[in-house]
Amino acid sequence: MIASLGRLLGTREARKLRRDKGAMVASLVIGVYLLATIAVMCNVISRKDCSEVIGPNSVPGFFRAQPPESRFEVARTSMLKPVMRALGRSDPTAALADVKLGRWKVADKSLDPLRQIVADALVLQHELEKSENLDQDTHLESKLVEFERKTAELIEPLSKQDHWAQDMAMLLGTDAQGRSIFFRAIYSIKVAIQIGVVTAVISVLIGATLGAAAGYFGGWTDHLVVWLYTTFSSIPSLVLLVVIAYAFSDSDAKETLLPVYIAFCATFWIGTCRVIRGETMKLKQLEYIQAARTAGFGSARILFKHLLPNTAHLLLINFSLLLIGAIKSEVILSYLGLGVQSQPSWGIMIRDAGNNGDVIAGRFWQIGTATFFMFFLVLAFNILSDALQDAFDPKHL
Amino acid sequence: MRSTPSTFELLPIAPFMPHTTMPLATPLLDVRNLSVGFRTDRGDVTAIEDVSFQVRPGEILGIVGESGCGKSVTSRSIMRLLPERNSFVDSRSEILFDGVNLAQADESVMRSIRGNRIAMIFQEPMTALNPVFTIGWQLDEALKYHTKMNRSERRTHVVEMLRTVDIPHPEQRYREYPHQLSGGMRQRVVIALALCCGPELLLADEPTTALDVTIQAQILRLMDELRKNSDTAVVLITHDLGVIAQICDRVIVMYAGQIVETSEVQPLFARPQHPYTKALLESIPQPGPDHHQARLPTIDGVVPSLFELPAGCRFQDRCPYKVEQCVTEQPRLSKEVHMRKVRCFFPINES
Repeated sequence: MIASLGRLLGTREARKLRRDKGAMVASLVIGVYLLATIAVMCNVISRKDCSEVIGPNSVPGFFRAQPPESRFEVARTSMLKPVMRALGRSDPTAALADVKLGRWKVADKSLDPLRQIVADALVLQHELEKSENLDQDTHLESKLVEFERKTAELIEPLSKQDHWAQDMAMLLGTDAQGRSIFFRAIYSIKVAIQIGVVTAVISVLIGATLGAAAGYFGGWTDHLVVWLYTTFSSIPSLVLLVVIAYAFSDSDAKETLLPVYIAFCATFWIGTCRVIRGETMKLKQLEYIQAARTAGFGSARILFKHLLPNTAHLLLINFSLLLIGAIKSEVILSYLGLGVQSQPSWGIMIRDAGNNGDVIAGRFWQIGTATFFMFFLVLAFNILSDALQDAFDPKHL
Repeated sequence: MRSTPSTFELLPIAPFMPHTTMPLATPLLDVRNLSVGFRTDRGDVTAIEDVSFQVRPGEILGIVGESGCGKSVTSRSIMRLLPERNSFVDSRSEILFDGVNLAQADESVMRSIRGNRIAMIFQEPMTALNPVFTIGWQLDEALKYHTKMNRSERRTHVVEMLRTVDIPHPEQRYREYPHQLSGGMRQRVVIALALCCGPELLLADEPTTALDVTIQAQILRLMDELRKNSDTAVVLITHDLGVIAQICDRVIVMYAGQIVETSEVQPLFARPQHPYTKALLESIPQPGPDHHQARLPTIDGVVPSLFELPAGCRFQDRCPYKVEQCVTEQPRLSKEVHMRKVRCFFPINES
């Protein structure tokens, strides 16, 4: 096992690949993405983490300093307001225990000191609200700091670990529902890679089997396969994807990724099938395949054991191209609301950003994060598959 | 123009010496009236017509002729390798291999015979081995399929086979890929592959054409030794009369899908009876001062297209001895006289 791996790394193709700096960086990037995928699969970030409201709405990400207006909003709506509302209830103690915002809890104080803090904060709030625009009224800065300090007193200080977790969750800000963009983007990696790998594997398997059978046997097998893929490819693929996604919209499988898999596999095998069919037609004329027949081997054995291994380079390149294709299509389909349903996905994040008016309001962190996560993954895969193509091309040094 | 020296003048392996005398042994392969045709867009054509011959164990039968005269179709139809969709074998044709008619045999019967009892060697050693597998894997695969040997027995046998075909360091070669071997070495591996299940009949389709003359001689010597040691029958297809002279016992000369002459090697070279055979022999370059200035004789014209076969003798357009009868009437293969048959109205050199 180790010996054969060593031989694999020592091959000419592997050496060519290692000389290619771009390919190595791309592999590194893909490696990081794969690590993230594994982490998500090990439940480091669960689906619950992604749907939980962990902080105030639309808090900026990318370490951007918050403008006074939004600092005021955060303190008022996510700290002062819930506590104030709980205090007004018939059973304030129970209501206070229920107030929860991510990892934050109401400070462990008796009702009277809390009422006092709220009253003080409300005075400050009124003064601040007199201003038309806090962003321009710089003289109110000290009042704002005072207000923030007061409202913070309502909250139990976080433990060190919770503080770190909270910081991580808030790293790239929150979306309109107050959910962590960072966590959702990380979770989307797993969704994207999962869809990419599953569809690429299945599509390559279908394409290779049908293509090889068509090319090798010819005759009616060939006619059938060619008819099948010309028919499928005459339907615009996005339309087909939409139709299949709709067909599943009432079934139980809607919540799973199954419709997406079926929709993608139905169209993605065509390219591989075409390439492998052509290659098989070429290879079967070669003498070693004829020699395999003269050695008495059956057709299936010749096809799968002697012929298909000779198309391994094509299968590998097709696999990496399909992987990118599937990831991109998944984002598009999810953006249209037809793809992933109950899990985070970059497509859903981009759609949310648009629907909530984030983009118009200048809250770019959600759409930005989703785009960049996808961009780097697709770019890295493109560079790698390009490099693979070069590495396996005998005419390219 | 550079004329390639023919092997049989260069090599000291006794030419013109029939190997053994065993005309009485029962034939291993008995081909009777084999006619094979192809379906094409322009209608059906007959590629080989009424070909009959016999091969006995330990005998080397040479089939010689120009390109397109049906040599390869003959060997491929014995192996039933022609695409069934666009080829057909005449219903009167019989290919009796050890009593079994291969022309009518099931595909499953063919699979158990191919590679196991009848093996085939192809012309191009560069593409006759699968580039993605090691030499050892490819030999092992054939053994695994046809024999019940276990892994270590197979390995021993493969290494032994590689040694038999004179491959140096067989243990090391076992692990190597085809691209790591030279053309001659690859052809040896191809022969080892053909011989590893101990076939009774070996069909060699131009096994030395792609090799240079020294390697060619080694390969021929190897095949000669193998048939002596294991009594394998060999059908050697070639267009090189030098190769025929070197190791064959009997020869079939084919022209445009028909047998035009069949004979033992020595009489054929000494006294060719068919004008085509004579012309072929004359077009072998002869070394020595007598021939130094003379132009090498060639046969004018080309083999007639299968779609436009003449009514009479198929060689008429290129034959210097053509008369009226050749145009109107098709000559039949003569009765066997001194192990010879000829398809000509006026055989030359007839005693």
